[in-house]
Amino acid sequence: MSDVPSQSLKQQLRTVVVFTKLSTKRFFRDRLAQFFSILFPLIFLFVFGSLNNGNKNVTFSVAVLDQSKTSFATKFDHELHSSSTFKVDPTLTTLSAAENKMAKNQLDGIIILPSNFGTIKPGQHYPSGQAQILYDESNVGTGQTLTSVLQSVFNQINTKFVAVQEPFSASGQALNKASLSSFDYTFSGLLGFSIIGLGIFGPVNVFPELKKQGILRRLHTTPLKTWQYFLATMFSQALTGAIAIAIQFAVAIKIFHLKVDGNYPEIALFTIFSIFMILGLGLAIGGWAKNERQAAPLSNIIVFPMLFLSGTFFPRYLMPHWLQSVTNYLPLTPVIDGLRLLTTEGKSLLDIGPQLGLIAIWFVVIYAIAFRVFKWE
Amino acid sequence: MPDLILKVKNLKKAYNDKPAVDGISFEVKKGEIFGILGPNGAGKTTTLEMIETLRPIDSGTILVDGIDVGEHPNQVKQIIGVQPQTAAFQDKQKLSEIIEMFAAAYGERVHAKEFLEDVELGEKANDFAESLSGGQRQRLSIAAALVHSPKLFFLDEPTTGLDPQARRNLWDLIRSVRDRGVTVILTTHYLEEAELLCDRVAIMDSGKIIALDTPHNLVKQLLKRGFTKEQQVEQANLEDVFIDLTGKGLRD
Repeated sequence: MSDVPSQSLKQQLRTVVVFTKLSTKRFFRDRLAQFFSILFPLIFLFVFGSLNNGNKNVTFSVAVLDQSKTSFATKFDHELHSSSTFKVDPTLTTLSAAENKMAKNQLDGIIILPSNFGTIKPGQHYPSGQAQILYDESNVGTGQTLTSVLQSVFNQINTKFVAVQEPFSASGQALNKASLSSFDYTFSGLLGFSIIGLGIFGPVNVFPELKKQGILRRLHTTPLKTWQYFLATMFSQALTGAIAIAIQFAVAIKIFHLKVDGNYPEIALFTIFSIFMILGLGLAIGGWAKNERQAAPLSNIIVFPMLFLSGTFFPRYLMPHWLQSVTNYLPLTPVIDGLRLLTTEGKSLLDIGPQLGLIAIWFVVIYAIAFRVFKWE
Repeated sequence: MPDLILKVKNLKKAYNDKPAVDGISFEVKKGEIFGILGPNGAGKTTTLEMIETLRPIDSGTILVDGIDVGEHPNQVKQIIGVQPQTAAFQDKQKLSEIIEMFAAAYGERVHAKEFLEDVELGEKANDFAESLSGGQRQRLSIAAALVHSPKLFFLDEPTTGLDPQARRNLWDLIRSVRDRGVTVILTTHYLEEAELLCDRVAIMDSGKIIALDTPHNLVKQLLKRGFTKEQQVEQANLEDVFIDLTGKGLRD
C-alpha cells in the first residue's frame, strides 16, 4: 500500500486563500453580479431616499374659500398662502371642487372664511370671526391637527387685539440632535435588503447552475473539503459585500445627508459578521437544492417574510406589538437594528449585545444546517 | 505478476433494488490504457463514480494503489485525476486561474503556463474558459486533472462530440500522458477508438463484465467462433477519406 501524505492545515488554508482570490476576481469581471450587488440596492436607496427627503416639515395642503370681503380676511388669506405650513391650492375656488379633491385624498382640509369673518362688531374696536375647517372623516387625525394649528395662529392674532395675561403656556423646541429621521430607519433597512441580496440571492442563483454544469461535482473529485469551499465563499462575499455597503454609505451621506454617528471600523465589523450569517442561509438553500426549481421557492419562502417583517422597507415600530415580538427573532431583524444603532444612534458594539448574540445564535444554527444539507451535485 | 494500480472485487451497486453494477471484478495494471465499453445504462459510469469516491459502494472492495476507496476516500482523491464527461468551467475565469485553482484544491502550487503548454493551450493562458472550442475545453480539462501528478487518470467519454482532427489530437495526448507513467482508464462509445487506444478493454452489459482482454484477442476469439462479416472489408473507411482530404491539423 502506498503512503499518501495528507495535506497540512497550512496547505488547506492556502487553498481557501486561492479560492477566495479567484472568486473575488471573477466578481470584478462579472457585470451582472456587480449590477445586482451594487447598482440594484442603490436604485432602492435613491427611490426611498427621495421619498423621505421631501417630508422634513409638516405641511397641510388646503383650499381656502374666502367668502368674506373684509380687508382682514383678505390679509389673512394672503398670509396663509405665503405660509410654509400651509400649501394652498389656488385653483380651488368652489366648495364642491375642493370637496371633490379632498375625497380623492389629495387635500388635507378646507378652510372657509365665512362672509362675516373679519367684520368689526358694534361696540368692539377689533375684528372677529370664526373660520370653519372641513376635513374628511377618514382623516380625523390630520383634520384635528390642522384645526389646532389654525387655532394657535388665531391665538397669536388675538393677543395683538386684546391684551391678555397668559399664566400658562407651552413652548415647544425641536431636539434635532438624537432624533431619528425616517430616512435613518429606511437606510438601515436598505442595508439589510442589500445584505439579503448579496448573501441569499447570490448563492441561490449560482449554486444550482454550478451543479447543473457539473462544476461542483468536479471539485468534489479533488480533496477540496466543504468547509474550505464555504470559507472561500464567505470571504469573497464579505469582501464584495463590504464594497457594496461602503458605496451605499457614501451615496447616503453625500446625497441624502445621512449623519453617521458611530465609528466605521465597528460598522464594518458588524456588517461583515452579518453578511457571514445571512450568507449561511444562501449556502444552505443553494447547497441543498438540486436545481433552480427547488431553490427559487425555498428562497422566496425564507426571504419574503424577512423583507417585510424585519424592517427592510417598513419600520418595525409601525407594526402591532404581537407582530414585533415575533419578528424580533427573525435573522435579519438584529442585523437591521444593529446597523441602525451603530450608524445613527451612536451606539458601540458593546451596547448591542442582544443583537450580536442573536446573530451569533443564528450563525451557528444556519451553518450547522448548511453543512448537513450541502450537496456537490 | 505485474504491479496493479486498481483492484476491484465483487463490486455492487443498486438503485431502488435495481442492480446497476452487479458484482464485477477486474484489475488494471500500472501504465495501461484501460477501456470500459458498453451500451448506455450498462453500468460504466456508476463503476467509475464508485472508484472516483463520488458514489457510496453497496458491497465489494476497490483498492486504488492499495488504498481502500471506502475507507480512505480522501487519500484516494489525492492520487487520482478525473476528467468528467462534460468539461465545464466557470465563466470569467482565465485558463491559468483554472489550473491554479485545481492545483490549490490538491494543496499544490504550480506553474500554470507549463501545464497549459503541455496541452497546446499556452497561448491562451489569459483567455477566459468560455471562449474555448469543445476540443480546447477537453484539453484544458485534462490539464486540470493532471495538476497534482496523479497515478491514475479517469476519462469519461473524452471524445464525444469532437471532430475527427480533435479526436486524433486527444488520442495522442492520452498516449503521451500514459508515456509519462500515468495509468489511464477511459469509457467510450467509439469502438475503433478503443481498438486503437486501449491496451485492454472490459465490455460491460447489464451491470456485468461480459468480456475482458486486449482488443486484438477479443477479435481473434470472435473469428475463432466462425464469425464472418457480411460485407467485404475495405482497406480504408470514410473517416480515413475525411482525414486524408482535410489533414490531421487541429482546427480550433
